Amino acid sequence: MRPAPFSYHKAERLDQALALLAEFGEDARPIAGGQSLVPMMNLRLARPSHLVDINALDLDTIELRSDHLHIGALVRHERYARESLIAQHFPAFAEGVEWIGHPTIRRRGTLGGSISHADPTAELPALCVLLGAEIIAQSAEGSRRIPAAEFFISAYVTSLEAGEMVTGIDLPLPKGKSSGAFEEFAERSGDFAIISAGVTLEHDGRAITDARVVWSGVDLAPVMAERAGDLLRGKPLSAPEAEAAAQAMSAGITPLDDPMASAEFRHSLIVELTQRALTRACEKAMQAS
Amino acid sequence: MNAPIPNLSKRQIGARVQRFEDTRLMSGAAKYIADITLPDMLHLSFVRSQVAHAKILEVDTSMLEDLDYPVQVFTGKDTDGLSLKANQDLPGVQRSEQPLLALDRLRFVGDPAAVVLADDPYLAEDAAELVFIDFDPLPVVATMEQALAEDTTPLFDGWTGNKFVERQMKGGDLEAARAQAAHVIRRTYRNQRQTGVPMEGRGVIADYDKGTRVLTLWSSTQMPHLVRTYICEELGLPESRIRVIAPDVGGGFGVKGQVFADEVLIAWLAIQTGRPVKWVEDRRENLIASIHARDHEHTLEAYVSAEGRLLGLKADISTDVGAYSTFPFTAGGDPGMAAKVMPGPYDFQAYEATFRALATNKCPLGTYRGVGRPSAVFSQERLMDVIAQEIGMDPIEFRLKNVVKEFPYKNVLGFTYDPGSYEESLLKMRELLAEDIKAAEASKASPDSRIGVGIACFIEQTAHGTGDFTKRRSPIETGYISARVEMSTDGEVLIGLGLQSHGQGLETTCAQVAADALGVGPQRVFVRHGDTLTSPYSVGTWGSRGGPLGGGAVHIAANKIADKLRLIAAHILQVADPATIQLDENRASVIGDPARFVPIPELARAALRNVDRLPEGMTPGLTEEFSLDGPKDGTYANAVHAAIVEIDVKTGKMKLRRFVVVEDCGTILNPMIVDGQVRGGVVQGIGSAIMEHMIYDEEGQPLTTTFADYLMPLATEMPEIDVHHIETPTPLTPLGAKGLGEGGAIGPPAAIANAVANALGVEVEATPLNAQAIWRLAKATRSEG
Repeated sequence: MRPAPFSYHKAERLDQALALLAEFGEDARPIAGGQSLVPMMNLRLARPSHLVDINALDLDTIELRSDHLHIGALVRHERYARESLIAQHFPAFAEGVEWIGHPTIRRRGTLGGSISHADPTAELPALCVLLGAEIIAQSAEGSRRIPAAEFFISAYVTSLEAGEMVTGIDLPLPKGKSSGAFEEFAERSGDFAIISAGVTLEHDGRAITDARVVWSGVDLAPVMAERAGDLLRGKPLSAPEAEAAAQAMSAGITPLDDPMASAEFRHSLIVELTQRALTRACEKAMQAS
Repeated sequence: MNAPIPNLSKRQIGARVQRFEDTRLMSGAAKYIADITLPDMLHLSFVRSQVAHAKILEVDTSMLEDLDYPVQVFTGKDTDGLSLKANQDLPGVQRSEQPLLALDRLRFVGDPAAVVLADDPYLAEDAAELVFIDFDPLPVVATMEQALAEDTTPLFDGWTGNKFVERQMKGGDLEAARAQAAHVIRRTYRNQRQTGVPMEGRGVIADYDKGTRVLTLWSSTQMPHLVRTYICEELGLPESRIRVIAPDVGGGFGVKGQVFADEVLIAWLAIQTGRPVKWVEDRRENLIASIHARDHEHTLEAYVSAEGRLLGLKADISTDVGAYSTFPFTAGGDPGMAAKVMPGPYDFQAYEATFRALATNKCPLGTYRGVGRPSAVFSQERLMDVIAQEIGMDPIEFRLKNVVKEFPYKNVLGFTYDPGSYEESLLKMRELLAEDIKAAEASKASPDSRIGVGIACFIEQTAHGTGDFTKRRSPIETGYISARVEMSTDGEVLIGLGLQSHGQGLETTCAQVAADALGVGPQRVFVRHGDTLTSPYSVGTWGSRGGPLGGGAVHIAANKIADKLRLIAAHILQVADPATIQLDENRASVIGDPARFVPIPELARAALRNVDRLPEGMTPGLTEEFSLDGPKDGTYANAVHAAIVEIDVKTGKMKLRRFVVVEDCGTILNPMIVDGQVRGGVVQGIGSAIMEHMIYDEEGQPLTTTFADYLMPLATEMPEIDVHHIETPTPLTPLGAKGLGEGGAIGPPAAIANAVANALGVEVEATPLNAQAIWRLAKATRSEG
């Protein structure tokens, strides 16, 4: 459990980092907290020949920018909980990130690292998809914005290209009244989820006007419940018929099947967690109204 | 059995003395294998099999020739003729050998076929990737069913089928019991394969000094003397010129309680290369290729009278012991233990067990805290609940009716139980659970959340002596522990202990014992252990014997010194009767006349330096040694464990609300350490019950090879563990102490399974009770809701 040989480069500025990534292409990986990449390298499942240390880069801001909240790629997980802008605008995000790892992981691990690593049941990819985030990817050539739904392709596979790195995400601010909740099921606290379900609602104080639901553990990348909006629009916040909606939106879904959790067990968790997240999101909306 | 229980002063024994070793262990001052560096040292990396079963065609090392740094490589051909042999000399046993490096066959994923040595551990690991094993696959024996099949491929040449061992144990008239029975109850129970996971993995360093012809081997082992003896016998070195040191050992739990082929191999490599050789096991190696545990399937048939008395028990026990027989407890150790202890704390007179150890293409199974007992108690205690339910009795009431109440008691296999508190501990537990039982009953109306209470009542044979081991006809042979106690000129005490303390707190408890005998403070006692050069021969730390036998040996040796100190003091103080001298507070004083005293350091100086002060004819010196064997049948500790669980019926999420232990280990040497041992064991038992699972696929590939997949209990999931003690000292050991190192890990699988069964109103037949298993069990409960 020692990594294959590699060269280490410390970048002081973004342009330096991007130049190094451009120079080494597929053979290079940026490294920040190392919470995913280092174990993968120690198991020799990842074998980058060049590591570009980006810890010194100025990419750790959280700020409101017109109609969205920007979170820099080097923001450590432990910061989300202290950020009132997140609690205020993105309750599902605030709940979801509480499930990330343990304190040591949250102290070092970064937003950009988790997203780029793209574990199939990590919280941040699911939250990005749920909240319609745009992932900002930069290379020596320039910058592009990738909708989260197109960014996560499969387990540990993203649409990032050689020479590109994530520099941050933009979360669009909800337009009207909104609410949200996140539920997760894992064997132990801090583990990657067996199933997680995130919900966001828009509402007018009495009824749901739109809804989004995301699941992880269904497939190798986060999955949006296609019919969530249609099923929930117009339902009263006081009695959203959560169980029936959760059943209906997960009908026909065939989740992953492995020794830890069968497809049948996962499906049952999808229904239960979706129902619980939906119920709590409605309760929060009622309290706020 | 009738020897008087010693009258112990109990000034130090029984006190909550803070552990002396913690200062070192908690401040980063401990020294483990990985911390040891020798000049000119070579680092070793194993080339391990990636397939479960194959014939080796060639181990190709040609790519190493192109490296731009020096490496040395050794394969099975180089070590041909050297092996680990662990066989029982009994009918029903097939003999086998484990070559130091795979010779003609690969028998499990992780089986080492070659080693690469380099100047740096990173370079060794890089080079090891370049060695290729060319092989022809063989049919994989991946399950016990496949091992028992007619057409199974034997793992060893010359074998018939895949049984290492198949034997029986019996006592009484089972046919008569069956004929008298009003109820015949039969069930099959299964415990999964897991591993032991010490925080520090294994590791070995060997260094051969050509000048003195002394081989020094550092190993993270629980049994340094047995490692020394095996190396002597296999490599033909004089045992006097082998020194084995187990430095600080970061947990063992039985996993390090075997002699491993790699210990012999690394000793051989140091001699071959003329340089020190170091190997530190990494976590993946530890998980797939160290020692696995449990993996039992039992079918029990109980014969019960109309009045609810257990009349007889028939047991069929299979254990999947993997690819090789382990030294010294052998492949038959785990199923044999299960068969032996299955009668448990209950009084019945007919028993028959068939037990077998099955060879499969998996990591070898060896000793792990509890050894066969957690599985036996799981089956036995699940069955007791099932019987109680079938005959309409309360489960505690049913156990109270059947436990042994009069001692000494000769059980159905002829083992004699020394006094215990089986009935009293059940009664105490019933009292402690009153509120939990009410809460469980009240929850039965809820469609969402159910509470369950389950208990496990068991005994543990501990500190068993030579008589128990010779019956096994296995290489373990004996079970004694030795200690050397030495007082130096300043009155400080040095103990050379034949045990290895790796969490047991022996540096503290043995100091407490010596302190009471010698009248000095325990802080004046330095306990050295884990080094064959500093202690007399012992079998090592396992089998719950450190306290009763290690502590007992220290007690006897220290008292011999105390007797001599009293003689010297009587002479100096001109007192006729040395029995009137007491040793206390670092003084030897006349009882009833405390003003007449000699400081103990002055007595020590008289014995070692100013020997003209000794009584005429007395030999100088203050060193004594004692080897203490255990009682033939051991001494039986007993306990009742209770789990209180709360289950989310919809998701299968289980919360452990509380875990309660009532235990009796005889005389308690240090209550703080006993509580810690019990709690640590319970946490491991909870791991066995609900999450630790070494999963293999049908090709014999291990799937849980990192801590992301092999789930260990975390502090976040652990309940409050409430520990209560009953103290029934045994007349069979010098201090009245029974063993307690393993007990904590024995009860939880049964107690938790019984609690789940109670919560959901279903039968529970297997572990691990992870979320998916609970969710499946709760299916019926969900459809009620």
